[in-house]
Parts: sequence; structure tokens; C-alpha cells
Amino acid sequence: MNKSQQDKWDSAAGFYDLLEGFGPERRWRPYKQKLYSKMNGKILFLAVGTGLDILSFPPNQDITGIDISPKMLEKAQPRVEAYAGNMTTQQMDVHELKFADNTFDQVFTACTFCSVPDPIKGLVELRRVLKPEGTLNMFEHTGSFVFPFNVMLNFMNPAVKSIGPEINRNTVANVKAAGFKIEKINHVFLDIVKTIEAKAP
Amino acid sequence: MERRLYFVFGDVLACALAGGGAGLLAFYALPDDWLAVFGMLGGMGLGMIAGMLIGLLLSPFFGAMEVMIPAALAGMVSGMWVGMMHTTISLSDAIGTGSGIGVLCLAFTYVRHVRLHGTVDPDDLDLEDKNNE
Repeated sequence: MNKSQQDKWDSAAGFYDLLEGFGPERRWRPYKQKLYSKMNGKILFLAVGTGLDILSFPPNQDITGIDISPKMLEKAQPRVEAYAGNMTTQQMDVHELKFADNTFDQVFTACTFCSVPDPIKGLVELRRVLKPEGTLNMFEHTGSFVFPFNVMLNFMNPAVKSIGPEINRNTVANVKAAGFKIEKINHVFLDIVKTIEAKAP
Repeated sequence: MERRLYFVFGDVLACALAGGGAGLLAFYALPDDWLAVFGMLGGMGLGMIAGMLIGLLLSPFFGAMEVMIPAALAGMVSGMWVGMMHTTISLSDAIGTGSGIGVLCLAFTYVRHVRLHGTVDPDDLDLEDKNNE
């Protein structure tokens, strides 16, 4: 367990909904709902946080949610209990998942791999716990390939990284490097906010 | 492109404030004896910082990257213009023109977004980008 990451997210739990719960979440909700509408089978949801995404989940799914922060999970608990399906949560670090190989049919993430310290290691772990042909479905913000946004993101990243996530990661390349086959990419805002759908071999 | 009026209003507000704020900051912070080219570079840096801060402040109300990215661009470009011209323009011109430049930067971002959004072929992407290495 990465203690510094746990402490970072524990300390953010108290005000996370104030920062993310209204503007960002409402703006992204239609795109998240479209992605989550693909939920089917035994599902792992990575980085549940305070459970804001649960409001966009379709009902009657079998979902295991994990997060590195117990305080985030504590905040999420009322939303987990209110979910109209089977949902449980566990404290876990994506770098060292405690699930057996080939456990899940699908994995979903939302704005997670901007903050995972070793993204390829985390993605390899997700591939391990996915069944063969299982799908990885991500809603993420990444770096850009388009001028002037690529230059700006690279310039701003050191300052942003010191207080929160990295904003210039090449998450699509990381997914491929972790051994997934990229099936579909949908740009939500410029080429920065996107959904990524990939399949385990 | 964003069609929900609330969020469009937020985008315009963020970019106008970022542009105007960058203009104000560049107008007051840059020494009068600086050459235009140094004023432009100094204004660019100050403007980007102003834009990022205003984007961060408005993000909880109007959205994350959709607000912060055009606001930072608005601050940067507005700061460059005011930094270059600050010895020859008034404070109200610095703020007013800065706000106008901010809205133009938002329009530019919207146009780029229209070209980029939607499904892309994974095979067309340059996955060898070195951003995160």
C-alpha cells in the first residue's frame, strides 16, 4: 500500500465533493452514463472515491469498488448503500490487487490514471484480474497532441502535479504498453478528455 | 461542442475573467522600461498563471478541463498582448482587450474541439508520444 497516496486522498476526502461534485461531475455525466451503460457481468470499479460515479451507474449490476483511501470509502458508503444493485467496496491499491487472476468480466475507471504513480504497473494488474477477452473501459483526461494545448499541458504539469494529478500523461499508450488491445477511443473534450475501450488478450 | 447554456456561460465567464485578469496583472506587474519582446514573454508567464488560477477557482462550478484549459490559454495570450503593449495602452484597454482576447481564445478552443471530438481510429494515434516519459 502506497502510504503517501493514501494520505493524499484521505486528506482530500473532506472537500472532494465540493470541488468535483457539481461542475465537473454534471458536465461529464452524459458521457460517463454512456460508458457505464456497457456494464455487464462481474465488474471492478477502480478508485470509487466519494462515490460520485455511482450516481451514473445503471441499476442491477454486480460491482466491486476499490479505493486506496479509507476516508474516501467512508464518504462513499451512503451512495454504495443507495445503489440499486449489488455493490461492495474494499480498500486496495491498484498496484497490488488482492483479487485472483481472471476474476472480472469488466473493469471501469474514471479520472484515475492521471494519479496512479506507476500507471503501467497498475494497468498490468487490471489485465491480470480481467478474464481473457474482458474489457477495460476508461473515462480519463490525458495529454494532448494538438498545439497549443500540448505545450500548455506540458508547461502547466509540474505545478498541477505538485497539488494533484498529472495532466500530460499518454494513457492510451500506457494501456497498449500494459498488453491491452485498444478497441475504441472517443474524444469528449479536444483530445484531452476521452473514453478508452480496450480488451484483455 | 457544449450546448448546455449554463456551461457555455461558465466557459465565457472564465475566459473573459482570465483574459481581463491577465491583462490587469501584466499591466501592473511589468516594468515600463522593458522591451516589448521581454514584456510579451513576461506577460505570457503571468497570464498563464492568472488563467490557471481563475480556471481552478471556477472549475467547481462549471467543469474541470473544459474550463481550465481555455482559461489558461486566454490568460497566456492576453498576457502576451498586454505585456507587449502595456506602455502604450490604458488600464481599461488592458482589461477590456484582455477580456476580448479571452473570449476569442474560447472560440478557438471550441473550433478545435469540433474538429477533434468523437470516435477516432486507435491505429491513427501516435502512441510513441514522449509526454509521460
